[in-house]
Amino acid sequence: MGKSSGEGRYIKGTTLGEGTYGIVFKAIDRQTGRTVAVKKIRLGKYKEGVNVTALREIKLLKELRDPNIIELVDVYPHKRNLHLVFEFMESDLEAVIRDRNIVLSAGDIKSYMQMTLKGLAHCHKKWVLHRDMKPNNLLIGVDGQLKLADFGLARIFGSPDRRFTHQVFARWYRAPELLFGSKQYGAGVDIWAAACIFAELMLRRPFLQGSSDIDQLGKIFAAFGTPRESQWPDMTALPDYVEYQFCPAPPLRSLFPMATEDCLDLLSRMFAFDPNVRITAAQALEHRYFVTEPAPTRPQLLRRPPPKPEGPPKPSELISPGGPVVLSPMSKAVRLSAVPGGDVHSFGRADKDMGKDPGSAGTLGGTPFTASRIPMSIDASQLVRPTLNSVDRSHLKRKLDMDLLSNQD
Amino acid sequence: MAANFWASSHCKKLLDSDEVGHVLPADQERGLTAEDVKLIKIYLSSYIKNLAGHLKVRQRVVATAIAYFRRIYTRKSFTEFDPRLVAPTCLYLASKAEESTVAAKLLVFYMKKIPPEDKGFRYEIKDVLEMEMRLLEALDYYLVIYHPYRPLIQLLQDAGLSDIIVTVWSIVNDSYRTDLILMHPPFMIALACIYIGSVIKDKETRTWFEELRVDMNVIKNIAMEILDFYENYRNIPEERLNAAMAKLPQSYVNAVGD
Repeated sequence: MGKSSGEGRYIKGTTLGEGTYGIVFKAIDRQTGRTVAVKKIRLGKYKEGVNVTALREIKLLKELRDPNIIELVDVYPHKRNLHLVFEFMESDLEAVIRDRNIVLSAGDIKSYMQMTLKGLAHCHKKWVLHRDMKPNNLLIGVDGQLKLADFGLARIFGSPDRRFTHQVFARWYRAPELLFGSKQYGAGVDIWAAACIFAELMLRRPFLQGSSDIDQLGKIFAAFGTPRESQWPDMTALPDYVEYQFCPAPPLRSLFPMATEDCLDLLSRMFAFDPNVRITAAQALEHRYFVTEPAPTRPQLLRRPPPKPEGPPKPSELISPGGPVVLSPMSKAVRLSAVPGGDVHSFGRADKDMGKDPGSAGTLGGTPFTASRIPMSIDASQLVRPTLNSVDRSHLKRKLDMDLLSNQD
Repeated sequence: MAANFWASSHCKKLLDSDEVGHVLPADQERGLTAEDVKLIKIYLSSYIKNLAGHLKVRQRVVATAIAYFRRIYTRKSFTEFDPRLVAPTCLYLASKAEESTVAAKLLVFYMKKIPPEDKGFRYEIKDVLEMEMRLLEALDYYLVIYHPYRPLIQLLQDAGLSDIIVTVWSIVNDSYRTDLILMHPPFMIALACIYIGSVIKDKETRTWFEELRVDMNVIKNIAMEILDFYENYRNIPEERLNAAMAKLPQSYVNAVGD
């Protein structure tokens, strides 16, 4: 990137679209001659500076670099607006799936899944959860390469105590553990969504189209059977767990009559109920489905839909028009869901991320409000500041093999 | 380690000792010495922590904010960027990056409420928001910082020293009064803090350290740096700090973007 950044580097072109947090326009990068998409981030209405969703996307994309992840080419401020410069992508997977003129061969589907899983494997290797996998966030470039985009909901994971909100993903792509209110989920949520996309590529329509969270689980169980305790031991302990009437699993083959055995085997592993059993992206890429005939179609040979007038990348859309609703991760939404049996239960749960982690810095101001929780909330710099007397110090110096005389009080 | 530090931008951006603690030409012209710069950084690291205490944010946010603050002043001069605005803005930015956003209004409220000895902290919301943009640029938009806290818990468990966690944890907190986080992998800082803590608490750790096969010289250097803080900078005399702060410009120009 170097010093050459900022407004002057780009020749502004047509507007590609408008999203929740700003407009996107096409531009030419003078430095490289490349076509790029510039996302102009509006400053928030509430005097809160740089939009948190945009900041999250910047933070994570600066850490990720992979052929199957959208490249953040540059970021610059101009007239108090932050501008995010992405590589220009012509289309997205949703457009491919919906385009009735495109026939998707088994090799094409394999190619799209391979690129999706490669992108995910890179995210997960870097401990990033995408959390918003759906066909219109999988962008397709002029060379046919599929790239994961829209990291506005993504998070770094990997800390065992970290609690997340379960209000992520468009509903149709939400894993069962999320629908049961799990907050300590992992990479498996992205795999479940990838499996939904896999199914959608074969069916050419969204696979599990629930109209509510409860209905979504109903659709999942109708397709795969109600999970038994032995299949998913932790299920009953999840916060929003409700018992569903038992329903047996129809053979997977009946849902995907055209699929090969290998294909169904991989699909069923990606749709495993228990997130601990669910296949990882790296393992999925090693699955025999990817080595047996037919070979994945080379990306540049994949048929692409005509470029859309309002092409990607799209700004993060927290509420996708016409589609399932995705709430913002920090949302404190209270969810009311009708539970079978007629009662209405509140499953509301604010994302209380603050103040409960290691050493909330609450002590220096005078009130040691977290001092009782150990070890997750120690902030002892005032309470238990180590005092080093001269005996300690000389003892320590000896241990450190340092010259005692060189550094007197 | 719980998360992948080795593949992170933080790891790739680790600095050598001659890349931190130097005085930028603009600051030299104003007569700021390396010692002045060190004092100002310690003072404002404490300020960030103090402010964070009122805002009740997690320790992780404080640590990230101080790391941003210190990283910025390896590249930008105190003459150009007022540390009294940069410090609270780093806390504001870190609160967003660490997913515990603090309202700008509340931040500014406490900036005015906490009485620092000199009155340089009287900034408004718009100043913080403008500075936020400049800081993002100064950080080249790299925002992910790893900290010693997570490896610390694991390492102490491994060493069977979980009982000294309170002591070691506070040493880690104090390590942010130095530039160590910019120079060393977080787990090495954690190890150095365990080393100091085990000596204070009289725990035998030699065998454990030997089995780890880490470079003990590096650990010792980190430990010495922390000890240097305890010995010489724990209580900075008021007049020394004031003398350093007096060398900062009386007013700053805030220019955003182009």
